[in-house]
Amino acid sequence: MKSMLSPPLAIALALVLLAAMIVAAFALGKFPLAPSDVLAVLWSKLTGGDPQLAGNVEAVVLRIRGPRIMAAVLVGASLAASGAAYQGLLRNPLVSPDILGVSSGAALGAVLGIFLSLPVLGIQALSFAFGLVAVAAVYGIGVSMRGHDPILILVLAGVVIGTLLGSCIALLKYFADPYNQLPAITFWLLGSLAAATPADAFSVLLPILCGLVPLYLLRWRMNLMSLGDEEARALGVNTTHLRLTIVAAATLMTSAAVSISGIIGWVGLLIPHFARLLAGPNFNRLLPTSILLGATFLLGVDTLARTAAAIEIPLGVLTAFVGTPLFLWLLVNVRQSWQ
Amino acid sequence: MRLASRRHLLGWGGGIAAATILRPSVGGSNQTRQITDSAGRRIELPAQITRVFAAGPPAAIILYTLAPDTLIGWTRAFDFDEQAFIPEHYAKLPGLGRLTGRGNTANIEAVLAAKPDVVFDYGSIAPTFVSLADRVQQQTGVPYVLVDGSFGAIEHAYTVLGAMVGDTKGAADLITATRAILAKVDSVLARQTRHPRIYYARGPNGLNTGLGGSINVECLERLGAINVAAQALGRGGLVTVSLEQVLTWNPEIIVTSDDNFYRAVGNDLAWRGIDAVKNRRVYLSPGLPFGWVDFPPSVNRLIGLLWLLAVLYPESYPGSLRQDVAAFYDQYYHRRPTDAQLDSLLVDSRGLRP
Amino acid sequence: MTLAIESLGFGYPGKTIGRDVSLSVTGGETLCLLGPNGTGKTTLFKTILGLIPPHAGQVTIDGADLARLSRRDIARKIGYVPQAQVGFFPFTVHDIVLMGRTAHLAPFASPSPADRKLAGDALAALGISHLADKVYTRISGGERQLVLIARALVQQPAYLIMDEPTASLDFGNQIRVLDRIRQLAAQNIGILFSTHDPDHAFLCADRAALLHDGRLARLASPREAVTPESLQQLYGVNVRIIEIDDPGTGRRRPVCVPSLADQAQRVA
Repeated sequence: MKSMLSPPLAIALALVLLAAMIVAAFALGKFPLAPSDVLAVLWSKLTGGDPQLAGNVEAVVLRIRGPRIMAAVLVGASLAASGAAYQGLLRNPLVSPDILGVSSGAALGAVLGIFLSLPVLGIQALSFAFGLVAVAAVYGIGVSMRGHDPILILVLAGVVIGTLLGSCIALLKYFADPYNQLPAITFWLLGSLAAATPADAFSVLLPILCGLVPLYLLRWRMNLMSLGDEEARALGVNTTHLRLTIVAAATLMTSAAVSISGIIGWVGLLIPHFARLLAGPNFNRLLPTSILLGATFLLGVDTLARTAAAIEIPLGVLTAFVGTPLFLWLLVNVRQSWQ
Repeated sequence: MRLASRRHLLGWGGGIAAATILRPSVGGSNQTRQITDSAGRRIELPAQITRVFAAGPPAAIILYTLAPDTLIGWTRAFDFDEQAFIPEHYAKLPGLGRLTGRGNTANIEAVLAAKPDVVFDYGSIAPTFVSLADRVQQQTGVPYVLVDGSFGAIEHAYTVLGAMVGDTKGAADLITATRAILAKVDSVLARQTRHPRIYYARGPNGLNTGLGGSINVECLERLGAINVAAQALGRGGLVTVSLEQVLTWNPEIIVTSDDNFYRAVGNDLAWRGIDAVKNRRVYLSPGLPFGWVDFPPSVNRLIGLLWLLAVLYPESYPGSLRQDVAAFYDQYYHRRPTDAQLDSLLVDSRGLRP
Repeated sequence: MTLAIESLGFGYPGKTIGRDVSLSVTGGETLCLLGPNGTGKTTLFKTILGLIPPHAGQVTIDGADLARLSRRDIARKIGYVPQAQVGFFPFTVHDIVLMGRTAHLAPFASPSPADRKLAGDALAALGISHLADKVYTRISGGERQLVLIARALVQQPAYLIMDEPTASLDFGNQIRVLDRIRQLAAQNIGILFSTHDPDHAFLCADRAALLHDGRLARLASPREAVTPESLQQLYGVNVRIIEIDDPGTGRRRPVCVPSLADQAQRVA
């Protein structure tokens, strides 16, 4: 099946969608804001002037909505890009960024941080670190078992380590203080950007860019990885190095994203499929399209999460509710999005 | 231009909030003052506090006892049974969600839109929650006061709260009342020679319990009762135990907050072997409008102390529990219960019916 | 300019299936490898390319040990045409062929318009330009094989290693591919290809190698290597080889004529 649109058109469309979603996200929210006020605050921030508005308005635009929008865009882009990368690398369309255990590791780090009553920065740092360590362990196992299909070993090691980490999380939940820690743990695991501060959004910017930029630069070579290890090598690709780079970049991004947002599923699995429908399997277009669509999707869902009901709906729950029917539609109607 | 945009905002009703949050540029009536909360944080508050956002159920309860008119809303709205015990205009306040990091269901923008003068949190002061307090304060510009919610610090809590809302007299009255309750407890305890062995049953099958020092059994332990689970298993949090263990411990008294367990245990053959069940000394703690013994972990447990006192040491209880309950509800919850309501509260306080 | 294989032992971890294979291909020369199913022709080719580690011996390209070269350098010298498989993602034919240019790209670069033109030219040279926008997974096996040949060609290699390039092609395409092999050899590319059909050796090879039981049974010109005896040994069938006048070149050329066991009865 061919892509529906010509490549520049697909990316342009995704870009327009993202811009529209950002505008909508700034306009919607529980605090009543006039659009002119939003623009005034943003403009004054760019030009360095004083908007002459009530302090609350500035707080909402620059410290509440703004960072949350930025975080949603970054997290959505990271998860979608990682999903696309892994689906190509592992030649399996049913793969999510968590296949090598990064989300389980990050979750364990955060749960441990909550269990140890660390300040929020400590929880995030531990979460980020554990995500990296988990994948390093999986990758180490994969590399040390030579002579077997490298992809299969990686996936199996990821499943095993992921399960182990899940058991550790369950154990910590069992011992956690039921009034303070356990609800915090449960809430974290459901995924949310409700408490995203400017510090959060900016602290993950660097790791996410360190992941996105290499993936973007290597997007042509990622096409060759989906041919299989031998063919890629025969065509001149050092698959060992490239695989390591792709895994490292994807892990850096996903771990940073999960450390501020908690566990958010479905984005990494679904968005690459829709991007493939729009732009085709060539990573030259697939990667930018995935990034843009992922950012748009998560931003849309997060805006829904904070405006649809009186209370905040956890992001992970909402992406599942929105994502599952979309996935079923995809399975039924576009059987061959990957063949 | 400046005046025009200000008027525009006032038309939206944001002006009042603006005046209290901004450094005042008009007059000297909007002064600020500083208080120190339980985590040692120095916080600048406006001179007059009229609207307080309670970050969680324990905060809402203690705030309600002292300054109910400042409460913007509860964590969740009351259901029909609970509403009957507090004055209607307070009962109808909306449910706003939690803002405590234990489950951030409150939308921060909604909090800001409610225009609080201060956010008040009552509970753990572990570093996690201190850093959360700082983050929310930085993000919203609204002062966030965090007070230690542990059982032994209730007097300190009322002192800080009184300073915060500017009602030191009301706080002093509540401190006096709290001291009186604790004094009553201590006076009864002083006369006891033996301490009863008690098992606190949680959950629908009664096999969830609190170990020594856990927040759930703070009331029990304050009363000098021997927590059989703590005796056997030491200190800790909540655990699930087996019926065999409970049979081995053979407590004299069982206290529970779970309705289903209470109704079922009398007929359950497996539990018959326990002394507490044999002697019908199984008690269901009342729970309206707030739980008496276990949760939420706030000043609502003070009446639970008196209730447990009557349950554990019925012969030694000075005066009438019924009257004490009525007085407590009047002073702390601002509504004296009717006779029928008192009956319903105390119905399961005499042990299992035959 | 030689691709030299010296005493190569090849196989899988723990199992050596071939030993002591030595052969060489020079620019402009075509070497045909004959052998029955399962002798390890594909394994041998993968070992020559360095995709599988050799069990013994070494491979050198123009004097340089292949084991020391980077994959990028190897790909710029040797083009590999594997047996065509279905493929996984629905890339277009043009994109598949373009992938062959990767060895010439800088590490973080994407193909340029010049690369695209080369891909288009390769498709045209093989007569499959009409397939350029079709999805690779949807075309026939024979068409896929031609696409893979085009992909190897855009690598602009000095040598081509082709694993049964005519396997799934129809009669016409088989002849066209063999024709292409002759033309590529004329452009000074050294070609090593494997086949089942001994006639292909006669049609376009300069030398033929017979792989039997993991060893090189013969390595000589086609006339000397492919004889009724060697074919009997290799395939266990009765074959006669007769000389005919080739209608195209006008020269004499051997042709294999197999005889079926019950031919006499059938004709009667």
